Amino acid sequence: MTETAPRTTPTGWALRVLAGAHTVAIIGQPVFAGTYLTGDYDSLHLHAVGADVVTSIGYLQMIAALTAWIRLRRAWPFLATTAVVAAETVQYLAGLDGALWLHIPLGVITVTALTVLFVALWLRPLTGPRPRTVRHA
Amino acid sequence: MPDDITRRRLLGIGGTLGLAAAAGLTTSAALARRPAVTGTELRSALPLPPPFQVPLPVPATLAPAGASGGTDHYEITQRETTAEILPGVRTPLWTYEGTFPGPTIESRRGRPVTVTHHNTLPVPTVVHLHGGRTAPESDGYPTDLVLPAHWPQTTHAAHDAGAHTMHDPRAAVTRLSRDYTFPLDQRPTLLWYHDHRMDFTAPAIWRGLAGLHIIRDDAEDDLGLPSGARELPLMITDRAFSADGTLTYPSLDPTLRLRPGVRDPYLAGVLGDVILVNGAPWPVHETDTARHRLRVLNASNARHYELEAVTDTGRRLPLVQIGADQGLLAAPVTHHALPVAPAERYDVVVDFTGLPVGSRVKLLNRLGTGRTRDVMAFHITRATTDDSRVPPVLSTDLPSWRPSDAAVTREFSFRAGRTHGGHGWLIGGLPFDPARSDVTVRLGDVEIWRLIADVHHPVHLHLVGFRVLSRNGRPPLPHDAGLKDTVSLRPGEAVEIITRFDGYRGRYLFHCHNAEHEDMAMMANLEIV
Repeated sequence: MTETAPRTTPTGWALRVLAGAHTVAIIGQPVFAGTYLTGDYDSLHLHAVGADVVTSIGYLQMIAALTAWIRLRRAWPFLATTAVVAAETVQYLAGLDGALWLHIPLGVITVTALTVLFVALWLRPLTGPRPRTVRHA
Repeated sequence: MPDDITRRRLLGIGGTLGLAAAAGLTTSAALARRPAVTGTELRSALPLPPPFQVPLPVPATLAPAGASGGTDHYEITQRETTAEILPGVRTPLWTYEGTFPGPTIESRRGRPVTVTHHNTLPVPTVVHLHGGRTAPESDGYPTDLVLPAHWPQTTHAAHDAGAHTMHDPRAAVTRLSRDYTFPLDQRPTLLWYHDHRMDFTAPAIWRGLAGLHIIRDDAEDDLGLPSGARELPLMITDRAFSADGTLTYPSLDPTLRLRPGVRDPYLAGVLGDVILVNGAPWPVHETDTARHRLRVLNASNARHYELEAVTDTGRRLPLVQIGADQGLLAAPVTHHALPVAPAERYDVVVDFTGLPVGSRVKLLNRLGTGRTRDVMAFHITRATTDDSRVPPVLSTDLPSWRPSDAAVTREFSFRAGRTHGGHGWLIGGLPFDPARSDVTVRLGDVEIWRLIADVHHPVHLHLVGFRVLSRNGRPPLPHDAGLKDTVSLRPGEAVEIITRFDGYRGRYLFHCHNAEHEDMAMMANLEIV
């Protein structure tokens, strides 16, 4: 079987767009945290709203990644997204609890992880399942 | 296959990043102070006594020197002395009337008091009655110095590198003595008086310049709360001792004459490794099986406490809070652990009824480690009957300002930063300058202030009491109840308070009551017009 030109499927596009929005949203979090600590009280509210937005997009991305796993037979986006969402959940609770020793480094790690996931999703096409026969040639 | 190599490499990269992340979080968990602590602990160079051996002293009540025209008059001499704090060790102190804590002034609501303070110490002093509704000229503004006999008249005595040379044209400087007038037209509560000298407040309090001032009224007397020997003021402080018995303090200028500040490792606050209650190390108080009213003041420079009362069997006794900084709550609030920040007061009732004679109740500090976990103990030595009570309604006169009443909402950040002298602490991005007006409010206006902290900052407003509206945008915590004059901000925390600026026009202060932060510029002017 010859390989067709790899094209990203609609499921792949949905995943990419959600990951993009997710990345943009999460980068706002350190910004609001920083302005809050300069004494801007409203930034705390923005940081809290931002946490809700980031977490919500994270769950949508999980659904898209699960769909990608089923349709495209690619598990890694789902596993990676689940890891990020798990980190965000811990991050959310650590923030509420004021556990800054956890909240600040985990925040940096979560932003980094999501950025890497974004790059991985956009660097190569998210195509449909490939034929397995070639692999044993 | 290339695909497999890529996959293997990706797994390797991912694994490395994952390990790095795990290592980072583990390091943070290991290095972090949990619970968070702001400040650095000094180590005593002397062997420390075992806990719960020294009897709890209760500061003597000062007798008035006289009375005239409905005003009681007191005399206090600020003087150097030597006291035995650790058993068998002589410790030089700066004191009010020769004792640490200084003598307690007992007064009645609305009956004015004049206190003449005589300064025989080697440095200038300033007396502030913390929590008092006091006219500005008696409020102890940091540049309103009382100079000792041999001190140059100029306010520019400090020309050294690092010293503040800021001139304050409004400073009211006197020599040798000063009359402070306290109208005390305010809710009954536990106040405290302490030194408030510009740049040198922390070491002066550390050396012993602190005392209690209690206001009472008939309504409070009639509540039936535990009283007499069962009402105990507890001034909690931490200190450290040098090998020669002197109090250790990391001053840049140990004479406290010229150069303010502490050595770099202590910029965030000075903590001691000995806990003193009413000036005694980890004391024990023999008492009976009855309710006790504990009037707790944290007079430590930087140490926070979270107090719990634990019996020999490990049971935590409820701490029933009846009052806050500015007097009685509307209704009692029950705590099992009570956080107390520097300068805060909590009026609590603890019930020893039914405890076996011979048993002990330890007052512990959940934020401490090692020896600083212990505070003091009660030794139950007698059975008794108790007719005291904690009524369900304690007061009905708490102000009920609503956010909609507020004329202005202001925001202040409390954070580390650069000051004229180097590292310091800033309010709203600025270091303290007596000549700058930071906040101007109209007499009688209600305002909401939003306070935001980077690390622990117990924020204190002079003149007024306030109520806590929220913490981090959520409802206040149980210990925020009542009328307060100092609110504890924990790292990253935001607190909204509401108050009415009434009483007097003039220049007041608000500042962080971590005394080291206060000395390192974390103060601001509050001008009431």
